[in-house]
Amino acid sequence: MIPFMIDGQPVEGKEGGNVLEVALDAGIEIPHLCYNESVRPYGACRLCLVEVSRRGRTRLTTACTYPVLEGIEVYTQTEKVLRARRMIIELILAMCPGDQLIQDMAREMGVHAVRFKQEDKDCILCGLCSRICEEVVGAHAIQFAFRGDRREMIPPFLGEAMNCIACGACVVACPVDVIKMKEEGDERTIVRWKRTLKMKQCKVCGNYFAPWFQLEKFRDQAKLQKDFFDVCYTCRT
Amino acid sequence: MTEKLNVFAVRTLTQKEYFAPGHRACQGCAEVLAVRLVAKALGRNVIVSNATGCMEIVSSPLPFTSWRVPWFHVAFENTAAVASGIEAGLKVLMRKGRIPRKKIVSLAMAGDGGTADIGLQALSGALERGHDFIYICTDNEAYMNTGIQRSSSTPFGASTTTSPAGKVQIGQITWKKNMAAIAAAHNIPYVATACPSYPIDLVQKVKKAAEIEGPAYIHILSVCPTGWRSAPELSIKLGRLAAETGVFPLYEVDHGKYRLSIDFPKLKPVKEYIKLQGRFRHLTDDMIEQIEKRIRKEYEELKEKAAKGARDDSNRG
Ligand SMILES: Cc1ncc(C[n+]2csc(CCOP(=O)(O)OP(=O)(O)O)c2C)c(N)n1
Ligand code: SF4
Ligand code: SF4
Ligand code: FES
Ligand SMILES: [Mg+2]
Repeated sequence: MIPFMIDGQPVEGKEGGNVLEVALDAGIEIPHLCYNESVRPYGACRLCLVEVSRRGRTRLTTACTYPVLEGIEVYTQTEKVLRARRMIIELILAMCPGDQLIQDMAREMGVHAVRFKQEDKDCILCGLCSRICEEVVGAHAIQFAFRGDRREMIPPFLGEAMNCIACGACVVACPVDVIKMKEEGDERTIVRWKRTLKMKQCKVCGNYFAPWFQLEKFRDQAKLQKDFFDVCYTCRT
Repeated sequence: MTEKLNVFAVRTLTQKEYFAPGHRACQGCAEVLAVRLVAKALGRNVIVSNATGCMEIVSSPLPFTSWRVPWFHVAFENTAAVASGIEAGLKVLMRKGRIPRKKIVSLAMAGDGGTADIGLQALSGALERGHDFIYICTDNEAYMNTGIQRSSSTPFGASTTTSPAGKVQIGQITWKKNMAAIAAAHNIPYVATACPSYPIDLVQKVKKAAEIEGPAYIHILSVCPTGWRSAPELSIKLGRLAAETGVFPLYEVDHGKYRLSIDFPKLKPVKEYIKLQGRFRHLTDDMIEQIEKRIRKEYEELKEKAAKGARDDSNRG
């Protein structure tokens, strides 16, 4: 374990870990939106900014991407940090004025008015959905499109995300809950990715339990016999 | 909509354990699984008031503890009262600037005995006073920790040591008390039912309860292989069957509006759930039919309420 300090409190992190995770573990709150332990840190939202002092030099940096290093001093509540944080949440709020979570976070940080031109987006461009889809699911169904201020998270060419297995991992992970999933009759739809898949019906109970496409993929990958997914998870055994 | 999600979706939940392994729960205990998921959902900033019962006993054999968050063992009668006090205390300390302002959840938890019977008065009081706290009932349908005595949450027909099946009676002769309905009758902002066989659904409901201001009540069906006389490896399946047969429907009451979490187009026969449990072994087909009838009726009533909720929604546009 590697010892260092956060806000004057001695903490320890493991080799290869990041400052944000150690802080949260120690009960030190740092706001964050694009961090999820299951995938590599990405530094997209910039909300987790902290000041880090190392060898006499101090700089503002994102805690989620800053590695645990011996002897560093991290500050999460300096005037500079708080000011930067307020600016960032104001920018995100200007981009996505309708997101409840962003509104709440902004209010808590003391941001009550937005000075920038407001857009009407709902996605905060945190990239979590695509990272989860890639690193956890392995489906590579969605990716950022375009660059700079035109950047967007959309299904490929704005059509149906053909690699999507409708597993819902991104639905659960999206911090602002804008990826919706619908199930109607024998179909499941991941609305944002325009992906609709037929569901498989259990041979025993008749319930629709998972998308065909998904089950076929699992069967293929794990080399299971043809009838392996004929019955649902409950009716098996 | 997330009840059926498994495989990958669960891997987006935190890998941190706030309820440590190494506890003394029985093999196949779904109650302890529920507690583990609740702890995951709430994270580090929570203070737990835990009534006596299996979950308290198995997690705190002196000098060990499974709890990686602040935790109180409280008496049966006053779980919700203690949780109210903690919430009020935190509020005052924050107002006076004695501790930094941040969201700390006050969580009360108790078994079905501790909730539906002994702690009901304190719970009703706390719900009515409107404390910002979460109350979780882990319902294994009897006083399990002291050796399977019936509670008011034990289902009709179940054999327990104090409602034994035999020549005189058929096991429990009263119908399961509907705790979620009792909580909802307090007009609190959030009531839900959940089951650890549906982990994402459970976690999301607990998170929602934490976000909502005011009291929230979550009733969690917790399969108990020891008390239900079922095979430990069937606990997850039994939880699913409870939902799929309509015995324990998963739903939410969000600001008075009912919503079914999963609406099965066709419910499975209740017998499929019952036949896997030794506590119902003595039931004849006639009795099972009687149980199924009642369960179907209650399910229809619930669906009716959910349909009304959906109608109100669409009317509002
Ligand atoms: C006032 C009081 N009465 C009785 C007991 C003995 N007792 C300890 S645990 C327990 C059973 C609790 O049942 P329940 O609340 O359903 O939780 P479970 O053990 O089933 O999870 C009882 C009766 C006690 N500790 N305090
Ligand atoms: S639902 Fe589709 S897009 Fe989302 S993680 Fe699963 S495969 Fe990827
Ligand atoms: S859709 Fe959600 S998860 Fe994906 S980038 Fe946008 S905000 Fe992040
Ligand atoms: S959480 Fe660190 S940049 Fe988003
Ligand atoms: Mg009990």
